[in-house]
Amino acid sequence: MRKEVYDVLIIGSGHSGGMAAKMLTEAGIRCLMLNAGPVADISRDAERLPASNLPYRGFRPPGRLEHVFQSNEFNANVWVDEQEVPYTFEPNQPYNWVRVRLFGGRSLFWSRQSFRLSDYEFKCKSHDGFGEDWPISHADLAPYYSRVERIFRVSGALDGPEQMPDGAFILDDDPWTPSMERFSDAAKSRRIPVCKQRRALGVNGLASSVNLLLPDAERTGNITSVANAVVREITIDRATGLPDGCNFVDRISRREMSVKARVVVLAAGTLESTRLLLNSGLANSSGVLGHYLTDQIYGAGLVASVPEARGRNGAKIMGGGAIVPRFRNIDAKSDRFLRGYAFNVSSLTGGLSPRNFTAYGVELEKMLEEYYGSGFQMTIMGEVLGRYENHVRIDREKVDAWGIPVLHVDAKYTDNEYDMAEDAVQVGSELCESAGFEVLSSNPTPNPPGYSIHEIGTCRMGDDRKKSVLNKWNQSHDHKNLFVVDGACFTSGGWQNPTMTILALSMRASEHLASEMNKGNL
Amino acid sequence: MRRRDFVRSLVSLFVAAKASRAQQRLNDPTLPPPAPVPWTLGLNSQTPIPMSEQADEVASAKLSFFTPLQMRTLTRLCNVLLPPLNGKPGAVEAQTPMFLDFLIGSSPEQRQKVYADGLDWLEETAQAKCKTGFAQLDDMQTGEVIKPWLRTWMSDHPPTEAFAYFINIAHDDIRSATVNSKAWNDVPSVGAEPKTEEGIYWLPIEPDVYGENPAYAHMSPHMLAMPKGGQKIPIYPR
Repeated sequence: MRKEVYDVLIIGSGHSGGMAAKMLTEAGIRCLMLNAGPVADISRDAERLPASNLPYRGFRPPGRLEHVFQSNEFNANVWVDEQEVPYTFEPNQPYNWVRVRLFGGRSLFWSRQSFRLSDYEFKCKSHDGFGEDWPISHADLAPYYSRVERIFRVSGALDGPEQMPDGAFILDDDPWTPSMERFSDAAKSRRIPVCKQRRALGVNGLASSVNLLLPDAERTGNITSVANAVVREITIDRATGLPDGCNFVDRISRREMSVKARVVVLAAGTLESTRLLLNSGLANSSGVLGHYLTDQIYGAGLVASVPEARGRNGAKIMGGGAIVPRFRNIDAKSDRFLRGYAFNVSSLTGGLSPRNFTAYGVELEKMLEEYYGSGFQMTIMGEVLGRYENHVRIDREKVDAWGIPVLHVDAKYTDNEYDMAEDAVQVGSELCESAGFEVLSSNPTPNPPGYSIHEIGTCRMGDDRKKSVLNKWNQSHDHKNLFVVDGACFTSGGWQNPTMTILALSMRASEHLASEMNKGNL
Repeated sequence: MRRRDFVRSLVSLFVAAKASRAQQRLNDPTLPPPAPVPWTLGLNSQTPIPMSEQADEVASAKLSFFTPLQMRTLTRLCNVLLPPLNGKPGAVEAQTPMFLDFLIGSSPEQRQKVYADGLDWLEETAQAKCKTGFAQLDDMQTGEVIKPWLRTWMSDHPPTEAFAYFINIAHDDIRSATVNSKAWNDVPSVGAEPKTEEGIYWLPIEPDVYGENPAYAHMSPHMLAMPKGGQKIPIYPR
């Protein structure tokens, strides 16, 4: 029987777990990291191929990954298999839970958009009366955002309005292309801000935990990592009632194992961390564990064409992209919905999708040639309100491939989200038309909840232990040596991609934890 | 006995006993025969990799999901929506109808129903309008059936009306299957002609044998690895 007790057990190896590992090990703390999936080796596990060499010609293999819209035949083997680790939902309320269990998690594949939350999100209740304020403000997190932005090499311009705070960017001073200029002018006439995109450049083309965070932890010699370790439950010290490690099962051999640690840090991804707490019977004296699940509405938007760029005349007109940060409910109050949405704007230089034309055969080919290089696309990212009813719980009827009870997800959008999406398509169409663009297709209906892969909440942080799971340091109100550093900690959402905030919160929580441990308080 | 003779007799006794045990091992049918060389001798990064082709490039598949009438309708639909153009193969030349028979036949029931109902609807509409099957309609007649249902759409939101859903989804599938066929890839694309999709294909990464089918979730790997049909696997005591 091994007697070794690690200082900190970190469960999960994505952005939040990687950041926790880096900060803790650099502070001299010995960590054990468990990851549920294998280590991916691109040189061994992948090869570049044309779809014509694949059995399904690039189509998603039938019957697999029905709720991963992002999947296709090329990437089908990187997502969590819905049969291996199932989850349940009501038939009329589908939820798209998109998961990666490779070492590094979803940090291997994210879209890199890198925004800070503003006090319109941190202090949302103070602004419009709905939900709860976070126990921290942008000022509390700003120094950590800056450090994260430098690690991830975020490019952007210092052009953000109050609702999109600027950061420590690699400055993007490229001029707008003429098509973007025209769009920007049309937006400014309606006092809608158009800003440069903010994107993590990373290093050598990758902005992941596996290349930007974990190597730093490994250099300290203070981390031990185990792959294919599917955590079954967090264990409790009977004498103190505090978490003291976990039981896990080896994914391949099914061998049951256990480890001990003085502190447990959950970083398994929002819903897996919450599932683990629910299955372990921990951290729920408030009764809100699993509640206030939120994400962002995606899928609504439009495709337009810039007439002057048609007929292969787009070389000097098209190209570039922009972010239109939230503009609703900032200065004036909308009578249709609370909060707001952002637009991702792209001036396209390649071919347009045939879906934009009601034609086929020869006629379609002529249109595709005529419109080539003239596309202009707007898609939305909208805030989903944090509601108690949107929650996850354990489904006692079903277990995964290792006998671990699965999650039941009960989440749906309301009129607030649907009205927001409709408004976005209407405003986007008006902007394109006033810029002189032709709108070819549009969609006002959001994709199912979960699609954005930005699920957050369910372990919300707050000052009131009766209304929250974690305190402002991502520490359980109920168990002082239990921390949750992934997106589960969000008190509420926003229009912004959550990754920068997850990283900054994990950095801040981990530094606090290291400080407390080194002082002997934990 | 001199000391040298004593040692020699001991050695010969030991060798005889060892030879006897070796003979017994050779005669024991439950043990594997000794290999003359290690099995993997000579396998290294220089080992040539045999060239092979996709099966559907050299062989035909049997119609497995669509009825013969549905397949005739689908073939005509493929020919109408994506005919051969500018030296590029059309959907029929790219074997797209038979590929869709395989793809849709392997798909969940809901998707199968969209195609089966949609093809039946095309046939019924052709019979009602033109007193002949869809496969026999000329280009103008097929246009009269199809064009009223064409819609523009984006992302994951095809039109919701039943026939428009089928026509637009089928159009999308037929184009994708054709563009991603070997026949299309073999002919260089010019202008706005789409290119065969190319990307990083991820092999199964330490696949978990339990995940393939929940019905086997209770079984151990060595049980799953057993050949079907009740053959006995020899057991070698260790």
